[in-house]
Amino acid sequence: MVVKIRLARFGRRNSPFYNIVVAHARTARNSRPLEVIGTYDPIPKPDPYDNSGKLHKDIKLDSQRARYWIGVGAQPTDTAWRLLSMVGILPKRNFAPKADESKGSVNAGDVRIR
Amino acid sequence: MAPRLSAAATPLAPVVDACLVQSCKSKSAPFVRSFSSTPCQQKMSRARQQMYQWLKGREGSEFADPKGGPRYLGPLQDQPFPLNPLFRSQPVLDEHTRELIWDKVMGRGESLKAVSAEMGVDVRRVAAVVRLKEVEKQWQREGKKLATPYAKAVMSMLPKTYYREGEKNLPHEPVNEIHVHKLTMQQLFVPVSESRHFTREDAAKAFHDTMLSVDARSPQPELINMEREILEGKTRQESLAKFKEATQKEEDKVARRIVQEQQREEKATTRVTTDRYEFRFKEINADDVGRNGRSRKGTGWRYGAPFDDRKRGLVKIPTSVP
Repeated sequence: MVVKIRLARFGRRNSPFYNIVVAHARTARNSRPLEVIGTYDPIPKPDPYDNSGKLHKDIKLDSQRARYWIGVGAQPTDTAWRLLSMVGILPKRNFAPKADESKGSVNAGDVRIR
Repeated sequence: MAPRLSAAATPLAPVVDACLVQSCKSKSAPFVRSFSSTPCQQKMSRARQQMYQWLKGREGSEFADPKGGPRYLGPLQDQPFPLNPLFRSQPVLDEHTRELIWDKVMGRGESLKAVSAEMGVDVRRVAAVVRLKEVEKQWQREGKKLATPYAKAVMSMLPKTYYREGEKNLPHEPVNEIHVHKLTMQQLFVPVSESRHFTREDAAKAFHDTMLSVDARSPQPELINMEREILEGKTRQESLAKFKEATQKEEDKVARRIVQEQQREEKATTRVTTDRYEFRFKEINADDVGRNGRSRKGTGWRYGAPFDDRKRGLVKIPTSVP
């Protein structure tokens, strides 16, 4: 069975909080995973007593375990890949939608219509 | 009472208004509150007259502008409201003293306990004064307008204590008060052999196994040590210097610990800045959850363990500030 590194959504309504888990691919999202290797708080927060308006996101991660699971073939989901690539565990990948390839223009003379 | 006007009599309304204005005889602002149908009082009532008489007299004027601190009406000296004997107005530190405390702690770098012992102000109050003064200074730096007239007015209504450097001062409050523990409020009869030296530690043990002695529960045990040394024959100056050194050392230790904690935190954190937010990756140990995965030390939401954040009867307000 495929082992995945993915997020499990906890928290409350409108205040998500994720566990970064290693789990079998076909188990339910919030079921007990093989291992919890970290957390991801997706809500950006300012530092206390900081009026500059800069926001940060807090992530906890056991990078040693993450490396191990990648090494034995665990497959990160796109979101997990994005987070793990930030600390250099995985190479950077572009998840943005691909730009439309220009198809080239059609010459009327080249096209033969019977 | 003015007669109620019917709908047909509406054109009369201005006339009525004019009559009311006439009865009030207020020439300066003729149409102010013209809707009131109560005639103005022509004469001052007797009680009011007496009040003004009393205020102008010797007794009243002493209350109105007292010399050297406020005077309260109550039967007791610190009772502002005559009908509320439970409300007592305690003296507060005056502005100059608070500024001095802030300067001693932040400017000259004296330890909180030393300042507390010297000025006769509780350590917690010293810390609170420093914190509030810091907030005040921060507001001044930010250009925030302070409510100084309000503060002055309130301070003029309160009894104050002063501390002037280089003078003989009265203490603001006792600084080494010991909290009366519930367990010590019982009478105990402990048979002890006459030959035994029964100390405070033994007394605490008699109340409860985990009870600490009075010396250990005192907020300023260094002060007790200082007095002991003086009794043993050291000079006051010498032991005072030793006391100051000991408290300074203790405070430095706490400061060092906080710095170390911050450094450790910073070392375990990787900051990745993107175009939108800064991501802070903090290194943790996945094994902290324990063998059954339910330890409270573990990271993240726990599986198979209740999370009582919305349970009835639990305090949801944060109990500490970052």
